[in-house]
Amino acid sequence: MIIVEKLSKSFNSVPVLQGIDHAQRQGQAVVIIGPSGCGKSTFLRCLNQLELADAGRITIDSVTIEGGHPPRTAAERDRQRQLRLRAGMVFQSFNLFPHLTVLDNITVAPRVVQDVTAEEAEQRARLLLRKVGLEHKTGAYPAQLSGGQQQRVAIARALAMQPKVMLFDEPTSALDPELREEVLRVMRGLAEEGMTMLVVTHEMQFAREMADQVLFFDGGLIAESGPPEQVFGSPLQERTREFVRRCNSNGRGS
Amino acid sequence: MNSSCRRAVRRILLIGLVPLLWCQALQAADHLEEIRHRGLLRWGADAEGGAPYVYPDPKHPERLIGFEYELAEELAAKLGVKAVMVQNQWDQLIPALDRGNFDIILNGLELTVENQQRIAMTRPYYAYAQQLVTRSDTQGLTNLTTLNGHSVGVLSGSVAERLLKEQPGTDWKSYPGNVESFQDLKNRRIDAVALDLPIALHYARPDSALKFSGPPFAPGFYAIGVLKQDTNLLSALNLAIRQLAADGTLERIYRKYGIWDERQQTLKDFQAPATMATGAGPGLRQRLGYLPLLLKAAVTTTELSVLAMAVAVVAGLVVVLVRLYGAGPLRWLARGYVEVVRGTPLLIQLFLIYYGLPELGIRLNAFCAAILGLGLNYAASEAENYRAGIQSIPHGQTEAALALGMTRWQTLQQVVLPQAARVVIPPVTNDFIAMFKDTSIVSVITMVELTKEYGFLAASNSDYIVVGLMTASIYFGLSYPASLCANWLENRLRHDHR
Repeated sequence: MIIVEKLSKSFNSVPVLQGIDHAQRQGQAVVIIGPSGCGKSTFLRCLNQLELADAGRITIDSVTIEGGHPPRTAAERDRQRQLRLRAGMVFQSFNLFPHLTVLDNITVAPRVVQDVTAEEAEQRARLLLRKVGLEHKTGAYPAQLSGGQQQRVAIARALAMQPKVMLFDEPTSALDPELREEVLRVMRGLAEEGMTMLVVTHEMQFAREMADQVLFFDGGLIAESGPPEQVFGSPLQERTREFVRRCNSNGRGS
Repeated sequence: MNSSCRRAVRRILLIGLVPLLWCQALQAADHLEEIRHRGLLRWGADAEGGAPYVYPDPKHPERLIGFEYELAEELAAKLGVKAVMVQNQWDQLIPALDRGNFDIILNGLELTVENQQRIAMTRPYYAYAQQLVTRSDTQGLTNLTTLNGHSVGVLSGSVAERLLKEQPGTDWKSYPGNVESFQDLKNRRIDAVALDLPIALHYARPDSALKFSGPPFAPGFYAIGVLKQDTNLLSALNLAIRQLAADGTLERIYRKYGIWDERQQTLKDFQAPATMATGAGPGLRQRLGYLPLLLKAAVTTTELSVLAMAVAVVAGLVVVLVRLYGAGPLRWLARGYVEVVRGTPLLIQLFLIYYGLPELGIRLNAFCAAILGLGLNYAASEAENYRAGIQSIPHGQTEAALALGMTRWQTLQQVVLPQAARVVIPPVTNDFIAMFKDTSIVSVITMVELTKEYGFLAASNSDYIVVGLMTASIYFGLSYPASLCANWLENRLRHDHR
């Protein structure tokens, strides 16, 4: 479902990703952990082309993009969009559209991008809002919602495009601790339904419970990977052990 | 307030009063003594397009020449002082004299009852008449009555303007200078120009594209204007003019400029008519009569503002989109447009569009030129407003839209522009209100809008304060609702989502 080959990326000649390889089957939930600045967010943003990789290759559900240059032709731009349509993205800062109601936030992209009729888009939106527990908020504006509610709407908005995989970029980091659980509950539900997920997070509990595989990023490389019981229980690398120990003492990562 | 504080305030007031009282004293004294004391006669005139009266020497543009320039030199010599010209827009010479910007007006000022009500006038120094000038291929149009249904150019504030205003069925257009009206005549925007003979002799006679149509008419005299209280100055000038007429100095100067004719013989033995009694100021009834004229001009101002703003709002959007999202060279072009338009005066842009474009074969009427000029000028400022608005939208909004698969254009349309619109409403409405006031500038390309109508009414009735307040109220009446409307819109948009 997701194949990443030799992905590398630098910002102002500072290497952030140094040849990442990653393969993920359909229905797998993969959690990426690692210290700040290790490149985990950049990796996620490269997958749906918000950052353009300097080199390497990304394949999601049989759409492949080669890194190295921004899209130049209409065909290349279309391929970029095809890749994005296969990957739903949830941001740390929600990024809901403040000028639209909850319902319109969810229906706008299906209507505009996929030419779905207004009725069908609305039907989809109502189903998704029920799923994230916000069916009573259709007419509200984002500013009238709590952070946790906003993030749940953002998840519904991404799901409305019926993506093949969901990318979560620290979805709970901007939330107060008491609001995190409602978002994590929605994510657990998605994982149980068999959604292919790639989650950058500091929520170790979530990683332990839900991840099929945990990737530990450090210095732009995957320093260690494996099932959660291995990475958390008996890490092979000293750096991983150190990070996990610190997380356990803090309750969450740095 | 304690007593020492009060004393300090009183002292400050006194210090402030001293220069005021001093100015008042200067005003009251006769100017002749002051002129002799400073050894300088300051004469007010308009050298812009001022040939053959007073104008920059084509060979040495830093030097002035003209028959009035030479006359001023002679007059000053008679008073035993030097002459210095003070530049002033022609149709505002009398108010400027009142303000004390100069001692006398010496610039083709007609000896009329209206002028004599406002200032004192000397015996005449030149006998002029009106002349019609047309394109050389024009037939007919040889006198005022044949002008019916034609559009005719006149100098703003001139006798010709007054004559044509009284002529029903004639479409007259006022120009700030003489060169522009001939330009428009040749560009076929107007069919004739009515003007003082000396100007016609200088500009139209040598031009093969133009001709004198019909005989001179409506003869009159030019005289020097002085303040009414300057009686000594007035008699000194009268004496000097009589001497210059008698000893042939006037004839020598006028022949040099090709404006001598037999009418000038009358100057030597001119008998001053008894000075008019000063009429009372305009009454309420007359002032109410201004209102329809002002309101009609206000309609023009509103049309200009609304249409020019529509042009600006749309053109500004095009410019900003090209500047932010266009291909490389286009981006620079848009940026250059904004910088050049913002960095040059609107007045020059209007002149280029109205008088410059016809040289390239593009003839716009004054209304279209005004809308285009104002619109394109404001487009630059709207583009900057939009740019600030667009750039104030967090980048996360664009990322979220792109991540949902929207194209750049869909992102702009659905996400960025609707949010930017809210940010941009206050500065754009501010510009709209400023536009109401800026439309006054288009009078330079012959549009009669509110400020121009104010100029007409105030100058011809010598009623600057009351007409001024009426005009200002109309402007306020136009812009205040716009400002209320903007507040309402802004609040409404804010309530919805913030």
